[in-house]
Amino acid sequence: MHRVRDALEDFGEMVLFGLDALRWAARPPFRPGLILAQMAAIGVGSVFIVSTTAFFTGVVLALQANYAMRQLGAEGYVGGSVAISLARELAPVLTALFIIGRSGSAISTEIGTMRVTEQIDAMETMAVNPVQYLVVPRLVASVAMFPFLTMLFNALGFAGAWLMGIYVAEIPEGPFLEHTRTFVDPKDILHGIFKALIFGGVVAIITCWRGYSAAGGAKGVGEGTTRAVVASSIAILLVDTAFVLVTVGSGK
Amino acid sequence: MIEVVDLHKTFGENRVLRGVSLRVARGTTYVILGGSGSGKTVLMKHVIGLLKPDSGTVRVNGVEIPKLEGQPLIEARRMFGMVFQKSALFDSMTVYENVAFPLKEKERGLKSDELRARVVEKLRVVDLAESILPLYPAELSGGMQKRVALARALIHEPPVVLYDEPTTGLDPITTEYVDDMIVQAKKKLGVTSMVISHDIASSFKVADTLAVLYDGVIAAQGTPEEVRRSEHPHVKKFLSLWFEKQ
Repeated sequence: MHRVRDALEDFGEMVLFGLDALRWAARPPFRPGLILAQMAAIGVGSVFIVSTTAFFTGVVLALQANYAMRQLGAEGYVGGSVAISLARELAPVLTALFIIGRSGSAISTEIGTMRVTEQIDAMETMAVNPVQYLVVPRLVASVAMFPFLTMLFNALGFAGAWLMGIYVAEIPEGPFLEHTRTFVDPKDILHGIFKALIFGGVVAIITCWRGYSAAGGAKGVGEGTTRAVVASSIAILLVDTAFVLVTVGSGK
Repeated sequence: MIEVVDLHKTFGENRVLRGVSLRVARGTTYVILGGSGSGKTVLMKHVIGLLKPDSGTVRVNGVEIPKLEGQPLIEARRMFGMVFQKSALFDSMTVYENVAFPLKEKERGLKSDELRARVVEKLRVVDLAESILPLYPAELSGGMQKRVALARALIHEPPVVLYDEPTTGLDPITTEYVDDMIVQAKKKLGVTSMVISHDIASSFKVADTLAVLYDGVIAAQGTPEEVRRSEHPHVKKFLSLWFEKQ
């Protein structure tokens, strides 16, 4: 019972922390230098892992789709089905999960270390709000960069699918591209991009909170980081499911 | 300058402060001496508004700290510089960025050459050379980190400097250096200082007024000589163990 209460209390505190971060984001002083640095760390720094994941996801997805669809004589639809899966689901979700592993853990560790070594207290005593200085730049950078990385995922994923579809599965390029065009609407891509925006905010708040609330030295920082990665990964899957249920529902 | 009035604070079952009152005069150094767990860090966190009391209050320069929230609290904190027990330097910043940080945040738009001049000036107060400016805290010795921390606490010229266990974990020579530094900051810059410590030798050296915190209340208070003659059983025991060693 205690554990449930503690977990709920912690969740409530995190929500308040998130609201606090949003409030501070709207207040001067704005710190473009810090935001750019975080955009570089979270965004540019994740280009390699996101590109690699995207390319190979596209590759295997195209080969598997080809394997399944060829049995129906529908291999011309491989490009379209891969593109729509990427745009609506795989690009935003996998991008988020990989950024959590790469940058989310780093955010949590860095802020957690600052907490247990009193650097956050020191900042407060210097009349600087740590939420504004540490959390806001990471929040803004995540919300800004998740959609970009998701677009990158879309592009490279499709490139992988195209290479496999045309050169390995030997699907004629005409139908491959034509069916992709008819299958995928800009609103499918926007659906994914919008989710990426939300995921960016969710990941930033959870990972910053786990660092910010860390206690008890190196062990506490480590535990905070583990919880940050687990909690934000699960949160992404839950938010995604809820979003799809609401927007797509039964698909009728 | 600093006035603490009947301060009470409880964490769960643990009554940490049970009615602490004290007064620190302008331009003097007030040392709170106490063993581990005596509540001295909790007391200091109340002075700078990092904790809120259950009852009682803290007034600094006439400003009632516990009543402040948000922006006014942030403004009020500009009155303070604080030196943390483990220095708490920002490890992702260089020495220069660390020392410049409070001033840069206070006076946004300050020109970079003026900022640099002020940083160098404060480094001189704590006897550090300009050459360490590009280094990171991890590249400095513990004693040097402490001095950088003091320079950082002094850079925006606060009227009050708080020291949290400034000599804990330092070797005797560095300890003496830090003691001198506290005295120098008072003499050269006229700051009002509050020090919490369990280092008896240092406390007697730097204090104008000394208080012994025991079990959440102030057991003895006065000039170092007066405290030394205190009849309070805990204070006698606390001090005698040390004086016997000398």
